[in-house]
Amino acid sequence: MLLPDKMTKILIVGSKTRIKETIDILYSLEVLQPIDFSSEEEGFSLGSPLPEASEASQRLLKLRSAEKELEVVDKPLAERMLLSKIEDEVDDVLISLEAEITGAVESKNRIQNRAHELEAAKQTLEPFAVLPLVIDLYKGYQGISVFTGVVRSDPAKDLIEALDRYELFASSDAKFVALFVAKDEAVDAQKVLIQHGFTEVPSPFGKGDPQEAMKAIDAELEALSASLAEATEKISLLRKKHEAFILASEEHLSIVVEKAEFPLRIGSTAHSFLIDAWVPQKSISQVQQAFQGQLGEDVHVEVLEIAPRLEHLHPEEAHAGAEAHVKEEAPTRTSHRRPVNLFAYLTELISTPKYSEIDPTIMISITFPIFFGLMVGDIGYGIPFMVLGALGLRKCKSKEWRSISTMLLFGGIWATIFGFLLFGEAFGMHFGPQWVLEPGLTMAQLHAEFPLGNELSWSSLLGFQLPSLGVLSKLHDVKLLLYITIWIGFAHLLIGYLLGIYNETIRHGFKHAVFHKVGWTMILVGGVFLFMFIIDMLILNKPVGFDDPRMILGLVLLLPGIIISFKGEGGQAILELPALMSNVVSYTRLAAIGMSKAGMALAFNMIAIEMVAPMGGIAIIAAIAIFMIGHLMIFILAVISAGIHGIRLHYVELFQKFYEGGGLAFNPLKIVRKYTIER
Amino acid sequence: MAIEAGLIAIGAGLAVGLAGLGSGWAEKDIGAAAVGAMAEDQKNFGKGLILTVIPETIVIFGLVMAILLWTKMV
Repeated sequence: MLLPDKMTKILIVGSKTRIKETIDILYSLEVLQPIDFSSEEEGFSLGSPLPEASEASQRLLKLRSAEKELEVVDKPLAERMLLSKIEDEVDDVLISLEAEITGAVESKNRIQNRAHELEAAKQTLEPFAVLPLVIDLYKGYQGISVFTGVVRSDPAKDLIEALDRYELFASSDAKFVALFVAKDEAVDAQKVLIQHGFTEVPSPFGKGDPQEAMKAIDAELEALSASLAEATEKISLLRKKHEAFILASEEHLSIVVEKAEFPLRIGSTAHSFLIDAWVPQKSISQVQQAFQGQLGEDVHVEVLEIAPRLEHLHPEEAHAGAEAHVKEEAPTRTSHRRPVNLFAYLTELISTPKYSEIDPTIMISITFPIFFGLMVGDIGYGIPFMVLGALGLRKCKSKEWRSISTMLLFGGIWATIFGFLLFGEAFGMHFGPQWVLEPGLTMAQLHAEFPLGNELSWSSLLGFQLPSLGVLSKLHDVKLLLYITIWIGFAHLLIGYLLGIYNETIRHGFKHAVFHKVGWTMILVGGVFLFMFIIDMLILNKPVGFDDPRMILGLVLLLPGIIISFKGEGGQAILELPALMSNVVSYTRLAAIGMSKAGMALAFNMIAIEMVAPMGGIAIIAAIAIFMIGHLMIFILAVISAGIHGIRLHYVELFQKFYEGGGLAFNPLKIVRKYTIER
Repeated sequence: MAIEAGLIAIGAGLAVGLAGLGSGWAEKDIGAAAVGAMAEDQKNFGKGLILTVIPETIVIFGLVMAILLWTKMV
């Protein structure tokens, strides 16, 4: 269960006359992952597609072009289509589709093109509409040059000085001008215009008043938009009519093509074929029986080997042995029961586990919700988390949302448990007891008597005594919580190293594991003893000497551990020592985040209950609003911070101790039908 | 005592604030690169997340220091 399923390599050999049936069996079993044939083997060549491939591909091409033109999109259909119906009708439908679509699509394109042309013509006309001239007047002179365009400033004054024979027309804001000038003065005119930031706008073709022309264009555009709507309507009618058939037959033909082209992935000779494939060990007999039962002696299935977990360290070592040692990496197939499989996505997010290593999903599924719960640790948030998570798992389909819902559900369960038993809190407030500063009792005595502190509590809010739940307070037992979380860190990392030792042993043998993981485990355990010693000596100020057994035991484990790791990994091991320490300290975030949540909740509770609510009247509504908005904010922040920090402790701190990843996910041949049904 | 407590509070604030700035400074470039890598291939999300949050431990150190200082104050 911890390791991925054992994989077996099998060889399927048979006569080419039975290849079609073989492919059908391969797809129907859904437990075989073929190994693509490399054409290096002597006497074999790549297979060639089955005869039906080319016809099906041609049909598929036509279908897909129709699908694109009609803009058909994937969507659930009311009922599935029978394969026999598709086979019978596909050719007729394709012919009628082609005829109907071509006409409709062409007329739509024609209308759209004409509309674009008209839009462009209208754009060139637009500036000229403000001048009192007909279009014919801008062109066709022998002795006159015409300048039309936009200017930044009014050139009228400068033109009077520079030119003798000219006429200027300008728009009312003097930004658009048309200048008619005698040919011999054109150069001077151009100079003046350029000084005023002139940019030419070419004069339009055509005749008559530009405003009239624009009106005519508008009228035509309107007519076009009506006929465009008509054409679009026609196409959407066509889409509605053929949609179901197109989706179903596309699915069917894709499957036909995939199956018919399957021989391209396998080896063949003139009369036979051979397929290498990975099969989970427990499905071997199922495969053998299927072939035996359906094809008898025509196709032979042989079990080659069970893929070993052991890997070779150096390529030269692998090549030194027999050629059989050169092998492909087996694919990874993990099978978890609910609810562990709900966490599989969190592992996939990093990488697929290798065939020869422990799948960390089970680790995540145990400790991640606990960490999440510890960071939230509040009934008031825990119960809504549970409800949201359960709803999400019921309603959501996408992998991402399902994994977030899983996180909320199980995290919420633990948050409620910790909120109830450990912290005794709901919405940042303890349940009880109610504290009153009695006369004659100083604050210090109160602290001694009630270690949970005397901030707001549900007892004081509701006005009667509730039982005091929980043993710790997030804001008062800070040192103790930090201390506990360090121990959680030690434990979590130790599990990581133990898994690492196991992984290295099955992959490279125990000797390798000693140098790469056992050394580090000794460093960690030695560090634990030294940590206890240092806490006693420096923080608790207990009289401990350097002959303390914990000090001696710690050094006895730590120093050889460093030497072993140094031999195994070189100088890098020394550099990583502080990293291990920071990994342990990193777990204090479990306490720190819980504390920051409690601090924020306390602040909102004080504002709402102690400052705003006592004003009475409408202020009570305001206090309720502050209370709700404040806690909603903390609630949302809790998803982000507790979720991200919880998963980070796994990804960064834990996984580095044992997980490599980079495996290939098992991807068996199978057929998924959404729109069609075989019979 | 009042001055002492104030100085401790300032020290605690500096510890967590500067550590936060430090991690933010370190994370910004990594985060930008991680988003770039993710835009190329969605599968890089997990690796990107890991690399982005590595410097974050710095701020936890700062926070722990601040908490230890704060417990001295009360």
